[in-house]
Amino acid sequence: MDPLDDLLRRPKLYGNVEGAGELGIGFMMLAFALLQWMQLHTPRNSVWNQMYTLFIFFGLVVLIIQFGTKAIKERITYPRTGYVECRTQNKFPLMLFTFVLAVTSAVMYVCIRQHWNLTTPPALLGLVFAASYAFGFARTARWKWLVVWVEVAGSVVIALLPAHVLGALAEHSFLTTNFPASVLGAALLSFILYGTLLLISGSISFWLYLQHTK
Amino acid sequence: MNDQIKAIAELDRVIHEPGRLMIVALLYAVEKADFLYLQHETGMNKGTLSSHLSRLEEEGYVQVSKTFRGKVPQTLLRLTAPGRKAFEQYRRKLKEAF
Repeated sequence: MDPLDDLLRRPKLYGNVEGAGELGIGFMMLAFALLQWMQLHTPRNSVWNQMYTLFIFFGLVVLIIQFGTKAIKERITYPRTGYVECRTQNKFPLMLFTFVLAVTSAVMYVCIRQHWNLTTPPALLGLVFAASYAFGFARTARWKWLVVWVEVAGSVVIALLPAHVLGALAEHSFLTTNFPASVLGAALLSFILYGTLLLISGSISFWLYLQHTK
Repeated sequence: MNDQIKAIAELDRVIHEPGRLMIVALLYAVEKADFLYLQHETGMNKGTLSSHLSRLEEEGYVQVSKTFRGKVPQTLLRLTAPGRKAFEQYRRKLKEAF
């Protein structure tokens, strides 16, 4: 890569220099896993299965991530390695990505509806997730490629697990009247796996950042 | 004089200096950044960085503003429109030359 191009992309990567981005997404995924677990293991009329709980829960998660990241940046990152305000970017690629993701999700939903016993699609979404991690975070440090490979291996393992093993995670839930237990189990396991991996990778990044800066 | 040699001769000497080139390239990618960030990314000491920034400010390529973040003084740096244009032109000339 042209050394000038390398310099030009450095500020973009600076946003996750201390691992705050990974910690935030990891926390969000584990929060989703917790919510899904509560929904699977409580009765239909429980507070966890109400629409308003969903909004309150998501709102709280977003607030915690927003203020948590801000606190890390203002108390640790800026005093140690400086402050950067990024330029407003062209929104078109992000909009295109969202559109492609929405279409892919719709197609996958139709596929799942036609083959209710399929557990592979939710687990293989992990491959998309691994690719996003590779693009967003792994380019900054070589050791993060190990996380990418663990994510890929995890997705394949979840996709290959027998349906009754995955189904055991969602057994007796009223949600199984709408969705197969194995699909719910695969989604729950995926959230736990990626959330945990991101928290671990974010914590390592944070620890390394503290070690290498004053 | 052929086009390649002409392109080399026309390179902006203020930006062409390696230290200042690093500063301008880093500032080109952001809206603004503080002194500490540039010091950390370029690996220069305070004196050297200050002197390069003064030269760029003199040329009108960089705008320097002193503010406070809480109670801590902060020097914010931003590439001006002429600075941005000069860097784009510099890159174009460099590509033409090589």
